[in-house]
Amino acid sequence: MADMSLGPGLGSSDTCRSAARQAGAPRVLLVIPCFNEEASIGGLLSEIAAIGRGYHTLVVDDGSSDATCAVASCRSPVARLAQNLGIGGAVQTGIKYAARQDFDFCIQIDGDGQHDPRAIETLLDAYRSHPTNITIGSRFIDHSGFCSTPMRRAGIRLIVLALNGLFTGGRITDPTSGMRLLDRSAIAFFARSYPADFPEPISLAWAMRAGLTVSEVPVEMRARKAGVSSIDGIKSASYMIRVLGYILLARLVRAP
Amino acid sequence: MTNALPSPETVVIISAFASIYMLVLLRKTLQGKFDLYDFMMLSMVAIIPAGFALFPNLAYLVSHLTGVVFPFVVMFGALFLVVFAFMHNMTARLHRLERQNCALIQEQSLLALELKAKESGRPGG
Repeated sequence: MADMSLGPGLGSSDTCRSAARQAGAPRVLLVIPCFNEEASIGGLLSEIAAIGRGYHTLVVDDGSSDATCAVASCRSPVARLAQNLGIGGAVQTGIKYAARQDFDFCIQIDGDGQHDPRAIETLLDAYRSHPTNITIGSRFIDHSGFCSTPMRRAGIRLIVLALNGLFTGGRITDPTSGMRLLDRSAIAFFARSYPADFPEPISLAWAMRAGLTVSEVPVEMRARKAGVSSIDGIKSASYMIRVLGYILLARLVRAP
Repeated sequence: MTNALPSPETVVIISAFASIYMLVLLRKTLQGKFDLYDFMMLSMVAIIPAGFALFPNLAYLVSHLTGVVFPFVVMFGALFLVVFAFMHNMTARLHRLERQNCALIQEQSLLALELKAKESGRPGG
């Protein structure tokens, strides 16, 4: 486990990196997967900068057709995928980057503005007090802020039942949360293999199957600033069935 | 049950179809559009019906051995078997290619990022 004396002066330059290394401060990478998020990505990056913690950021532009890349590249390095790979492929690109650049922590946050960047510190604090390989920012511990629609919450409860019933390694309340902290072990694990479809719940099943530990911390989420969710209407039912199938499959298949 | 033999017209039509189809497949294989495995599996669509039409006694023997009354049921069964084997392998191949494609796109984006960072004198971006 990394030393958790996170320094406020952690910058993105080489000098800052060396200084942070010498001070023993962990290096934190924020991975922000984006698909056509030109309306929200600029604001999100400004919010992150305003926190003043000097987190490294990597925006993964998942083949956007709008100006997401142009807007984001003013404030952050951008990995531009030549084709849309979906959320799983985009997040894994960021995780691979974190593994290669030797980051201590990789924190995924959505580019649609649903996640409050101030909660990043909450995740790091949670790791500091109770280190686990994956720390999830959960909407359903305090039930404050945006908690999705009742229909989706019912579906999420089913996924929770499946994950907690079939796997050990942590009690989960919000398996679909896209705000999560990965430590070095989780970064190495997910850099090798990460689910392409429905990555949030399935990745937890894969991780727990491989013996990684998971914990949660309450965070408040916001409604989307722009755009619409890709999982809506009849897709929600299909999503549920397929996710439950994948979780069951993960239970039946041995860890690679 | 009497063993009805296919009429000469049926044999001619099936043989003509098999010959033309095999020639088309062979041409595409030589052009590199199919590999040998594709050629063999796809040619079964011509070979199996041709075998049943040209060697009817063999067809009756096979249907007798398998306990199926009608030889054409055996023929369609064999064709389905070939098609499903082909689809099975094709699905596995598609998934492998999909994973490789995904990994290549990720690599390309990370290498571009690394290159950009090196050009601008920053480490790793």
